[in-house]
Amino acid sequence: MEPLDSSINIETRRMELRGVIRLAGEVIAQYWPMRTFVHHNPLHSLEYLPFEETVRRGKQFMGGNGYLPSHLYRDYLKAGRIQSSHLDAALKPLVHDKHLAIGSRTVTHGDVLRACLEEGLCTPVMEPLDDQLPDPANELIDRIAARLEPVLTFPDLRERIRTIAEGDQAALGRWLTLSHWCDDTLGTQIVQQINDQLIKWCEAYLDEGHATWAMPGREKGLYGAWKALAVHEWSPCGIADSSKKISRLPEHPEDALLESLNALGIPAELRQDYLSLQLTALPGWAGFIKWRAEERDYPWQQAYPVGLVKFLAIRLWYVRELVQQACREKLGIEGRFDAVTAYIQNHSEEYYLRRQRVAGRLPALYAEEVDRLAHQKGDGWKPLLARYRAEVVPRQEAAARRGAAKKLLALARSLGIDEAQLIDGAPADLKQIVEWIEAFPESDHGPVWLTAFEAGYHDRLLGQLRARTNDAKHPAPTRPHSQSVYCIDVRSEPFRRHLESVRQHETYGFAGFFAAFIRYRAWGNEHDTEQFPVIMRAKNEVREVPRSFLDHALLKHESRTRMVHAGHTLLHDLKENVITPYVMVESLGWFYSLPIFGKTLLPLLYRRWTDWLRRLFVPSLATTLTVDKLAPAETADVLAAEQQATVRHALQERTGVRSSRITPELVEALRQRALSGEDDPEPPLTQAATEAGLSSEVLTSFIAALRQHHGINQRASSRQKERITRTGFTLEEQVLTVDTALRMMGLTERFARLVLFCAHGSTSENNPYESALDCGACGGNEGKPNARVLAMMANNPRVRERLIKTGIEIPSDTHFLAGQMNTTTDEIQLFDPEDVPPTHREDLSLLQQDLNKAAALTSLERCGRFPDAPQASEETKAEAHVRRRSIDWSQVRPEWGLSGNTAFIIGRRELTKGLDLEGRVFLHSYDYREDPSNRLLEVLLTAPQVVAQWINMEHYFSAVDNEVYGSGSKIYHNVVGRIGIMSGPWSDLRLGLARQTVMNGDAPYHEPMRLLTVVEAPRERIEKLIARHDVLQHFYHNAWVHLVALDPEDGVWYRYLPSGAWSPMDHLASKEHIHT
Amino acid sequence: MMDGTLASWLLAGVPLLGAAFSFVVWSRPDYLRNCSVVLSILSLAAAAGMSGSLATSPENLLLIYLLPIAACASLLGQPVHKNLRLSWIMTLLFLGLGFVILTSQHVVGQVCLLVLLSSLIALLYRHHTKLWPISWFGIGAYALAVGCVTISLVAAPPLSSVTSLLACAILLPLVPFHSGYITALTRLPGSLPSFIVLLLPAIGIHSLATTVLTVPDVAMSTMTVLALVSALYGSIKALAQSRIRLLLAYGSLSFFSLFWWFVAISRTITPQSVVFLAALSLVTSGLLMSWQVVRTRYGDDVDPQAISGLVRRMPHFAVLFSLLALAAMGLPPFGVFTGFIGMLLTTALTSSVALFVMMIVWLAASWYILDMVQRLLFGRERSDLRYEDLRRSELASLLVVLLIVIALGIAPSSLFGITQQPSNAETVKESVSWNR
Repeated sequence: MEPLDSSINIETRRMELRGVIRLAGEVIAQYWPMRTFVHHNPLHSLEYLPFEETVRRGKQFMGGNGYLPSHLYRDYLKAGRIQSSHLDAALKPLVHDKHLAIGSRTVTHGDVLRACLEEGLCTPVMEPLDDQLPDPANELIDRIAARLEPVLTFPDLRERIRTIAEGDQAALGRWLTLSHWCDDTLGTQIVQQINDQLIKWCEAYLDEGHATWAMPGREKGLYGAWKALAVHEWSPCGIADSSKKISRLPEHPEDALLESLNALGIPAELRQDYLSLQLTALPGWAGFIKWRAEERDYPWQQAYPVGLVKFLAIRLWYVRELVQQACREKLGIEGRFDAVTAYIQNHSEEYYLRRQRVAGRLPALYAEEVDRLAHQKGDGWKPLLARYRAEVVPRQEAAARRGAAKKLLALARSLGIDEAQLIDGAPADLKQIVEWIEAFPESDHGPVWLTAFEAGYHDRLLGQLRARTNDAKHPAPTRPHSQSVYCIDVRSEPFRRHLESVRQHETYGFAGFFAAFIRYRAWGNEHDTEQFPVIMRAKNEVREVPRSFLDHALLKHESRTRMVHAGHTLLHDLKENVITPYVMVESLGWFYSLPIFGKTLLPLLYRRWTDWLRRLFVPSLATTLTVDKLAPAETADVLAAEQQATVRHALQERTGVRSSRITPELVEALRQRALSGEDDPEPPLTQAATEAGLSSEVLTSFIAALRQHHGINQRASSRQKERITRTGFTLEEQVLTVDTALRMMGLTERFARLVLFCAHGSTSENNPYESALDCGACGGNEGKPNARVLAMMANNPRVRERLIKTGIEIPSDTHFLAGQMNTTTDEIQLFDPEDVPPTHREDLSLLQQDLNKAAALTSLERCGRFPDAPQASEETKAEAHVRRRSIDWSQVRPEWGLSGNTAFIIGRRELTKGLDLEGRVFLHSYDYREDPSNRLLEVLLTAPQVVAQWINMEHYFSAVDNEVYGSGSKIYHNVVGRIGIMSGPWSDLRLGLARQTVMNGDAPYHEPMRLLTVVEAPRERIEKLIARHDVLQHFYHNAWVHLVALDPEDGVWYRYLPSGAWSPMDHLASKEHIHT
Repeated sequence: MMDGTLASWLLAGVPLLGAAFSFVVWSRPDYLRNCSVVLSILSLAAAAGMSGSLATSPENLLLIYLLPIAACASLLGQPVHKNLRLSWIMTLLFLGLGFVILTSQHVVGQVCLLVLLSSLIALLYRHHTKLWPISWFGIGAYALAVGCVTISLVAAPPLSSVTSLLACAILLPLVPFHSGYITALTRLPGSLPSFIVLLLPAIGIHSLATTVLTVPDVAMSTMTVLALVSALYGSIKALAQSRIRLLLAYGSLSFFSLFWWFVAISRTITPQSVVFLAALSLVTSGLLMSWQVVRTRYGDDVDPQAISGLVRRMPHFAVLFSLLALAAMGLPPFGVFTGFIGMLLTTALTSSVALFVMMIVWLAASWYILDMVQRLLFGRERSDLRYEDLRRSELASLLVVLLIVIALGIAPSSLFGITQQPSNAETVKESVSWNR
């Protein structure tokens, strides 16, 4: 029984470890591949904690700031973006009822805190030991410092050393890894070395077709592939005998990780935090691995499996080896947790000096002496510390007193106190003020600033909405010229506003996937796109197919497309080959000058010319979508056609038979034979094969290959059939989809003659973040297919018949159109014009005119927000400018995207119609009267609101700390592995948004504040939903999202407090409730 | 026409008298600093005015012009602080002594050199600290220089030549006599390091010009080997330094050693080598002034590791510092590049070992200098540092140095009064064949 017990024990430990890693991975967010960029909260996994606490964790593990630097908030205050009254209100909970007198002036605790915020008194400053910069105030500062000398005392050096040693012992394993500790104490670069190694391996392993030469052995998994290759490396990071050590590692990554944790002596209770710290050292790569590990159906994951366990097993091996090496060589101790803590305790003086030296806090001569002692392993630490205490500590204390004096002087200036009165002030009072300042460190300022900042915006927006509600009771009674539905995206708001201003058009907001959860394959593409929010799953597949009357054009289109594709492939292969580039540069390099000069000097003309050329060579095809389910016979036909195409392709590839000799009969006979499972070819097949020049042996082996490698067998057929049957929607599904969509947006009556479902997409050049500008509700893709699907469904007469039974009667003269807005150029493209009835041509023409007008007005408005745009006063200039931005390959900011988003309004358009919301608000149409069961509101709060909150938080964190939570400047971005971007040639996968997306120079363009959700619905209904969903409780109770409701029953605005109570806003002054 | 000796003393009189009278404003550091700057400008004007009367070679004339400029720039770059007053007065004193040494007759110049070396010893002793015991070697090196100069005054050739050569190797640093130079650059306060980094090599080259013709061949062969060793040693030591002043001291040592090598194999001092030495000294001086800018803000003995991210908040400083660093790396169009290429073209380069050493020196310089720039200017901006860009006087001081270094690189040598004709015809012949 012993071996069995042992294996159970091992398996239990592995499972336990996997559990620990799952929890440890909470601090890192998933990283979606960039081709379908998904906005998300980088601290999403910690949303079960209050916002402030999560921000602290983010600082602890990732080193990221959760609030803007104070000086930017101060700029907002000076510019009036933050109101003084809001700042006072936000500060109020922190103010104590204390005061003292400086001269004739009474200074309260509140005055000091306010001055701390306004003047930046609490900014930590490294006071130089010898301040040589001339300053007229130096004499005064010296006198104040002299006043402080008797009262402002500092702890003894021994006490300070003890405190530091105890603090570091406590931090070790929780906030500080052993590798970090070595770097901070011994001046090593272990973390950097390990990161470099992990970047190298992850970059090679996780590549998705970007690399010309793929990493070998990836099918073994990350750990296996690393083990197989790293064993051949010569002393990576200077690790001695690395080959032997790697080859001796266990086969299972869990075992290797446990071995490393044991070797490092990490106590069991610290392992989760310790592993979190290891993951957050490279949050980008770790986040991508986390995402991939959870996507079991992802083809790359199926082919080359990866997970955090494997990642950590590799990382911890490097940690253990390098820490051991550094500790032995430099300190003569084991590189283990217990040995390191013992060293800190027993050699605290040496430890202190080493830490100070690495941090650059020692005077240069002392730093050299520490280096000498460290190098010689001498025992002169105590004398050196004694000298330090005698020579440096008094200077440090004097510098600290001067620092305190400077703060007092700044405070006096801020409060308008005569500076000379500070000299006369009682030293105890001066000390008290210094203590008040020090008790309010800058790290505590962020929440105060943010609360005040948000309060200002809330007051403004809610003020606008409250003013509007008085007129918003009844919609216009006449039939509108058109109705159009746009994505809730903030970029739709200006367009809708302008369209409504042009003529009597009604607009609605709805999540851009239009309730169509589809997996979509465009015509000519080999891969599907997932056209729905990433938090959902698709049931149906839709394909784009050419319209049936285009058979002749289809053949021409296909052959030309194949030629273009072959040309591209040839060019790519020539570029990537080892030899050919040497010749290619000389021979073909010149031709590249045309696009270079064209794109650079005449981008608009060049684009027009290339488009024309493309259309000339490969004419576009009119297409439609497979919205309806296939009949069984059609399914069989599609399956047979797909299999025949596979057989034809395989025949050419494997046997080299020319296509002219491949007859349809031969293909069908081969397909049937492969499906039948019989080995011996029948006489008709043999005869056809002989005519094609295939021997019987070749035929037999080819049939076997068809079964094994090309999936022409019964089992694969049934899978294919099942997939094909997922194509399209049943009539019931179509009715449900249209009914849900129309009810959610509140469009159930007064249909116009034309109803436009308008998706959105974007165009930009040389922009890895292109998909971030597309529709988030469509999984980072363009929403065109979804709009077309919904329009086709709604135009289906059988669907309309069924809808009448559900209470929605669509007039027979109502036609649904699909379109797409290009958010970079503001142009609207309409699809499927063939389906528009002739009776609606005039309406369509008029609508198109108005859409163009609205687009021009939107461009004009947007041009005012670009810092580098000419302040165009004419619409044509504005249109030309935005078009140029979209094709400029040097443009780092083709559009502002979703930057500036602040609020999400769920309610009727009447609430917001005519208001200039500056393109900052997500607008979702919702009429509570159409939702007696509360089902629709539930969907809105748990799906679109979640997406909006992810977008909001992505922008928030990218703006407050772009280096940690964002991806830094676009200038240095390089695409890696077709999955993400790195800064420069070697870095972590960069998270979040680029600096140019959220910042305008040094100031944020996106004003970072938490999402404000405004719902027009009875409070009881909202309360029930909050009680039912954890995600809503996390949002509102943990202050991730602010919730305000307009209760239609009493017409009063209420704010939902984190405590779970409602606070009527008409009865409370904003000052009183903004900080609740 | 004014007598050369009289002109020499008149020229030296401006800074020397100024130094003496500056004690009058001792209690007003701002006045003292400004007076010192004005006096150095007057010295430059005097040098320009009396250049025709001075009994000195054309090469020396360039150095005579540069000395007051370096003094002026060094003084301008200083913060007004009472602790630095002595360094300003000593700068004027050294400037006056430098004028005398470069322009006077043999004995007078040597006596002044003894005074200068003695002053240096006194200053180094005053600023000695137990934490920097190596400074004893520096004091010892200058004491040795005093001995050598004294012997060269009283002894006959070849002893006087050899001791004079040794003194030159201390002034124009060469391993193993470099400790004085390293210590002076590291330990001297205020404006002195950035001034003497030009003054001492200038005096060294002045002495070497006469000594090199009389030194025995065996001594010069030894110097050739020492120069190559010294160049390598300086580069390696510079690579290992974390302190800026040490890095600059060792880095310049390696380049001065290249100069030594050229002199040792050609046994002559060409105008191009003077340009090289002058440019190198000035660039090092400029980099020391740049470091002084940092020290002014963050403390005299700040550890460079504590400073990073200056580029965004101190853009003027960053630009000038970067340009000086490029100049120090020997990139065109700065004087170091021009001087070095000039030396190459006027010297028969027959040793592949020497070529290899030069390459190492150049590559190492590009490594440690860029690393220094990267550490100070880039990296994460620290929130606890007060960043303040260059003040006007600091900007002027760095700008003056940079412009002079560019001028040395692009202006014709004749502009500085240097003849283009090399003094050794054979060298030209050989250089032509080498160039083929």
